Amino acid sequence: MNSPTPLPPIKRIDPSRAPKVVDPRHDTLGAADAIAAAVAPGSSNRVERMRIDDLSIAYGTKPAVRNVTLPVREGEVLALIGPSGCGKTTLLRSLNRLTELTDTAVATGSITLNGDDIHALEATDLRRRVSMVFQQPNPFPMSIFDNVAYAIREQAARRPSKSALAPLVREALEDAGLWDEVGDNLDHPALRLSGGQQQRLCIARALASKPEVLLMDEPCSALDPKSTEIIEELITRLREKVAIVIVTHNLQQAHRVGDNVAFMYLGELVEYGTVEQVFNAPRAERTQNYVGGVFG
Amino acid sequence: MPQSSAARSERRAERSLGALSSLVLVLITAMCLFVLLKAWPSFSHNGPMWFGWGGNVDDQLAAIFNSPANPAKWDYTIRTWPILYATALLTIVSVAIGIVVSTLAAVFIVEFAPPSVKRVVSPVVRLLAAVPSVIYGLIGILVLVPFVGNHLIGDGRKNSVTFVVQLSGASLGVAVVILTLMITPIMIAIIADALRAVPNGWKEGALALGANRWRVMWTVVVRSARPAIIAAAVIAAARAIGEGIMLAMVSGSVGFAPNPLDGITFVFEPLRPYAATIVDNAEGLSVKPFGQTIYAMAAVLLFASLMLSLGGTLAKRPLRKYGVRL
Repeated sequence: MNSPTPLPPIKRIDPSRAPKVVDPRHDTLGAADAIAAAVAPGSSNRVERMRIDDLSIAYGTKPAVRNVTLPVREGEVLALIGPSGCGKTTLLRSLNRLTELTDTAVATGSITLNGDDIHALEATDLRRRVSMVFQQPNPFPMSIFDNVAYAIREQAARRPSKSALAPLVREALEDAGLWDEVGDNLDHPALRLSGGQQQRLCIARALASKPEVLLMDEPCSALDPKSTEIIEELITRLREKVAIVIVTHNLQQAHRVGDNVAFMYLGELVEYGTVEQVFNAPRAERTQNYVGGVFG
Repeated sequence: MPQSSAARSERRAERSLGALSSLVLVLITAMCLFVLLKAWPSFSHNGPMWFGWGGNVDDQLAAIFNSPANPAKWDYTIRTWPILYATALLTIVSVAIGIVVSTLAAVFIVEFAPPSVKRVVSPVVRLLAAVPSVIYGLIGILVLVPFVGNHLIGDGRKNSVTFVVQLSGASLGVAVVILTLMITPIMIAIIADALRAVPNGWKEGALALGANRWRVMWTVVVRSARPAIIAAAVIAAARAIGEGIMLAMVSGSVGFAPNPLDGITFVFEPLRPYAATIVDNAEGLSVKPFGQTIYAMAAVLLFASLMLSLGGTLAKRPLRKYGVRL
């Protein structure tokens, strides 16, 4: 029998290291005004695709997103960062109304796509224009071709022929950087691809309907570093074609791929600015703590 | 040493479980051989014509039953086509209806029913799947058969075929309705389980691509549950093929092959599948050639259920290629 080993001493958190959470509206750094100015319309000369205005979402009585205002602009990658449970995924899913799938979700405020309220659009139409890539690669159990063609077939009034679909499928796969690897094997089952390839297939699938905005929910968190690198390069390339909103809890990734960064904490938007500004000269104290790696 | 004793008891458990499962295999093989051996004289006397047509199968059965005592003069002549046809017709029609009905019902239960309905319907379906078939038969013979006989079949229709067959109400139609009713619950249960097991990521992914709920259901969820639909159909077909008592009660138990060319009358014509023939003739088994003829029918049923499970496995194979879970 082993002699009982003494338990390690319990580590207490150093009070001086505890996160200082200050409401941005009352913070001493005077960041609130600067951030409000940054998210205001017309603060950039790029075309605004989507605008989130004073959006709050609650699951039952539990608030997930509080009074967030954010612009999503063409030709830019907007990175949403923040610790787990800060509402960034909820915010992302509200952009194509996937939050509606949760019965208890209640939203106030407004979201517009090219100036139109997204709730006035058909959900199916909205989701073609604002398509999404999920955290876990989720290709359907079909061939590669059928996966990419899925959205096109769903939006067509009559079932398009395979020859009509082929160039569109090819274009989407090329955009996703997957054509060279799978171009000869389009009838192979999608689930036989590697994890990174599956995720790029999902990106191709989302691009096939020629969306205006591409939402990505931690698209690399289930992937190895090499696949992550490939997808990050892809995101950087795609920004010219489509406005991208990416949720990530990986700060390095936000730094690498983001043009603008929004930092959320406890459902609130704490910081918004260009990637250089947020990482090098954060305005709010909580952002300073977060990007400094103090908590999160 | 305590560890090695644990390993030894594990080995012992492994061995006894292995012995038990081999015993089951041996028993099943022995049963198949026994039935085949008993059935052989009937097959060898008739050759392939055992499955052929010609004459009245009920008269032939009676002749076999009344065979002379001298084994050299035993009568074996039988042409079971009407029974084979009845078995295939009943099974195929009720499984075909069952697949459609149960897939729609399962889709409704899993995806569209309000939670309160779901809570009630799921256990009720499981309960229905466990109802003994003789109860279905009883309801059929006491309620459905008289209703059909008295209200749906007019005298004109009865007279039109009076020299061929009598229309009492016990018929193809009633048999199919009750058989479908009997096999649908188990199919719903199997398919609903499979639909529930489809990963949420696939549904969300399809919704996020702009498909509506109904289309997501068909193009992704039901599609990936196809192996379960096949499995459900195989299980239901096995149950339908082997169903004897209920069909003996409601099918009319006449060795008659309903003729689709008779129009609507076709639905009201009686028939009798193999299993019901076995049930109906159980008393005659002591007459040797008759018993062997009945064993031959049992052998056909055994072979059919074997082919069914084999066919089910083969049908699932191409789906596996696309990563459809089995």
